[in-house]
Amino acid sequence: MQLLSGDARRAVFAPLDDGALRSEAVVRRVGSAVALGLLGDGEQLPSETDLATMLNVSTVTLREALAELRKLGLVETRRGRGGGSFVRSRDDVLAELADARLAELGTTDLRELGDVHGAVAAAAARLAASRASRTEIARLRDIVDRLASAGSVTGQRRTDGRYYIELAACAQSVRLTMQEMDLHLELSQLPWPPEVAPSLLDVIVAGHRAVIDAIEDRDAARARALTESHIETRTLWAIELRLQRLGDASGGAERQVS
Amino acid sequence: MNDRRTADAARIGAAVSRVVERVFETVARVHDAALGSVARDGLESGRAVLPGGTRELLRDPGQLAVGLGLVVAPRPREGLPLRLEWWQVDPDGGSLRTLEPDLRPSSLGYYDYTATEWFDVPRRTGRRHVVGPYVDVHGTGRYLLTLTTPVVAEGEFVGVTGADVPVRRFETHLLQALGSRPAAFVLVNDEGRVVLSTVPHHLVGSLLPDGAGELVDGAPVDGVPWRVFLARDGRPLQG
Repeated sequence: MQLLSGDARRAVFAPLDDGALRSEAVVRRVGSAVALGLLGDGEQLPSETDLATMLNVSTVTLREALAELRKLGLVETRRGRGGGSFVRSRDDVLAELADARLAELGTTDLRELGDVHGAVAAAAARLAASRASRTEIARLRDIVDRLASAGSVTGQRRTDGRYYIELAACAQSVRLTMQEMDLHLELSQLPWPPEVAPSLLDVIVAGHRAVIDAIEDRDAARARALTESHIETRTLWAIELRLQRLGDASGGAERQVS
Repeated sequence: MNDRRTADAARIGAAVSRVVERVFETVARVHDAALGSVARDGLESGRAVLPGGTRELLRDPGQLAVGLGLVVAPRPREGLPLRLEWWQVDPDGGSLRTLEPDLRPSSLGYYDYTATEWFDVPRRTGRRHVVGPYVDVHGTGRYLLTLTTPVVAEGEFVGVTGADVPVRRFETHLLQALGSRPAAFVLVNDEGRVVLSTVPHHLVGSLLPDGAGELVDGAPVDGVPWRVFLARDGRPLQG
């Protein structure tokens, strides 16, 4: 397969940085790439050798990961001519993976992830307020309109990711843009809150629109503060969800994500 | 504007103009190659329009562009999909690589090029265009100036041919061309965005605020919708 050269795809096949021989990390990476549509349904994965080299894992680890992905139903392997490993995009499997990932993480991990995302996105919003052109602001609005009307969970997730990536591009920063892409590969491994409580999509849309208004008003401090507090809210959703699942598992009191 | 300042602005404008025209000469050669091919063989899905040798323009001595090619206007009814024939110099090596961005709308990384300014403006106006500095998200991932011309065959818009110049390369080249201690100036594009600057607090990529009082004497640059402003006291560093 000819590897595509988009930046987000670069992130998918970037080496797993800890180099740990953990096939779960490969499974998660592939899962998040499917969730974000970076690997499309029916798409062929690179050969085992190439994939192992790109991700910086041993072929043994990679084979374990592929076996797990096959078991989950996210990858299908065909033998013979024109054979290889092919991606199957399945929302039910992705949701299960996200739940499992959430259960693995502690609340401090979720806070850490939110802290970094808040730092990157808030910096981008602040800079965008003084650097985004009218055309760029219009593009941000367009993305948020599409987020508001996105029909599927995966569609919403991708469009939300595109909003943050575009915001970083409006800041005129290649580095912040790359950071956002990497962060979304991690964030997309977690449950998408509006899937649990659909009304949260309105909160997200309203949050983004308020930031764009601030950018249009060239109010850098407001754009930053709104972005920070929005991401804090989302971090709390993830933490509440985490604790709620804990309650469910032990038959404890019901909690609502608010 | 006194004579010396007029001369400074003119000299900077001319240097910028020369660089832009040089890149447009490359774009013109890509354009002619594309037009010749379309006139001869038409447009067909799956067959390359540009001759393979076109990419070698990237190896011309003194070439500023690091990417060039043709971007085809999709025609769904005729079965012509989104398509690029674009080569770029690998940032890590020097080898030439095909750019293959993600063209699936369902992807986070979808390269929606028909909505980009470098594609849309030449399509609408029928004229050449310069865009940037901008982050080419989902495409090359670089901070770029992109220069494009429309390709029109038998009255029909086929797509655009163009070239990418990294902002850093543009800056290095021009600052070198202008010699040591050029006048303190800010080059601004048609959106008011700083393209090149020797005034440290007007950063490349930022928008020039309304009433940047220390900047005066805006002079247009030939062949491109940019202006050169000189700093009032003419010194690059102010304590």
